[in-house]
Amino acid sequence: MTQELLRCIVELCEQMVCSGAEVYRVEDSIERMCTAYGAVRVDAYVTTSNIVVTSEMADGREFTHTRRIKSSSVNIEKLHGLNSLARQVTRETPDVEEFRCRLEQAEQVKTYSFWQQVLFYVLIAGSFTVFFGSRSLRETVASALIGGIVGILVLKAEKHNVNKMMVRFFCSAVFSTLAFMCLHFGIVKSVDNIIIGNIMSLIPGVGFTNALRDLFAGDTMTGILRAIEAILLASCMVLGYIAIAYIYGGVAA
Amino acid sequence: MREVIIRVLAAAVGTLGFGVLFNIRGKKLLVGALGGMFAWLLFELLGGVVANEPIRYFIVSAAASVYAEIFARLMKTPRTTFWIVNLIPLIPGGSLYYTMSSAVGSDFELFMQRGMHTLELAAALSLGIVTVAALSRIIKKNRTPQTK
Repeated sequence: MTQELLRCIVELCEQMVCSGAEVYRVEDSIERMCTAYGAVRVDAYVTTSNIVVTSEMADGREFTHTRRIKSSSVNIEKLHGLNSLARQVTRETPDVEEFRCRLEQAEQVKTYSFWQQVLFYVLIAGSFTVFFGSRSLRETVASALIGGIVGILVLKAEKHNVNKMMVRFFCSAVFSTLAFMCLHFGIVKSVDNIIIGNIMSLIPGVGFTNALRDLFAGDTMTGILRAIEAILLASCMVLGYIAIAYIYGGVAA
Repeated sequence: MREVIIRVLAAAVGTLGFGVLFNIRGKKLLVGALGGMFAWLLFELLGGVVANEPIRYFIVSAAASVYAEIFARLMKTPRTTFWIVNLIPLIPGGSLYYTMSSAVGSDFELFMQRGMHTLELAAALSLGIVTVAALSRIIKKNRTPQTK
């Protein structure tokens, strides 16, 4: 084992955390990989925002590496590749060049294009509007179109690294405004289903489930971090709606 | 009956949409979307059997988690893949909306009532996930010999 190798291992694990892996599995992967390279003792501490690893070799040498993780977004295809790579590394213990090369390959994954993603925002908003009880075509179409606008905003914001909470607040204000406008101009009879459909694409449901799983897997810190993040994001979304609803209530009354 | 079919299909499309946003591809996307569909189908089928909504949420979320576990093993992928999409139709978005709209209406009693309901659903959902996660860890530990 060399410092360079540990760097590769941590790099791999950093990418796993960024693409939405469970934290205890990442710790597990680090331990397995370091052990495969001959470490006798591995101490890895991983949360969603940092990684600290110290690995002790049989001859008494110690290697340490730390990473600060700043942003993350769920990317399952990438996670799948990285996970298989971690298994491969544990099995075959490749040298640094080989490792680096494979890591670069694993980081290059196909993603859906911008407009494809927007299209699926449209679908999500539309289908959940129907799901939660709307049976009017106008309502569904209005909701789907608003969903598309929200999608464009979210994706653009993600690209420019805008604070997630601001994004939720702003997007929720935007879709509420548009929904109330539809109501005001008589396009739809109620805003309920439109807003529910659009809430679904912004709700941090995944964050919350991940938080609980981490909590009960024994990762108290990560669990709490994720849970608080999810609750804050949801609150921002709710505030965005409430602000607009109050303003509209004042204007309409 | 027609209503049920519409809801189940809508759940499938919605789940598929989330699958794409999480960059799930190929066969895994299909399995994920079907998982969401089956989860909601089960929820509808249990409607006549279990009247209590939080308990129904618990059962369905546990079932969906088992589905995720099984397919993650079969397709050799981290179970997060299916776990994050299967449960999408169960997220109490509607309930959350009615809670916040009653907050705007400043009807405190209704707000509390709906808020509690939303929390109950979320708790039931997470309890289902956690139960299966804990069980799967126990099973895994007993099956693979300790390597340390």
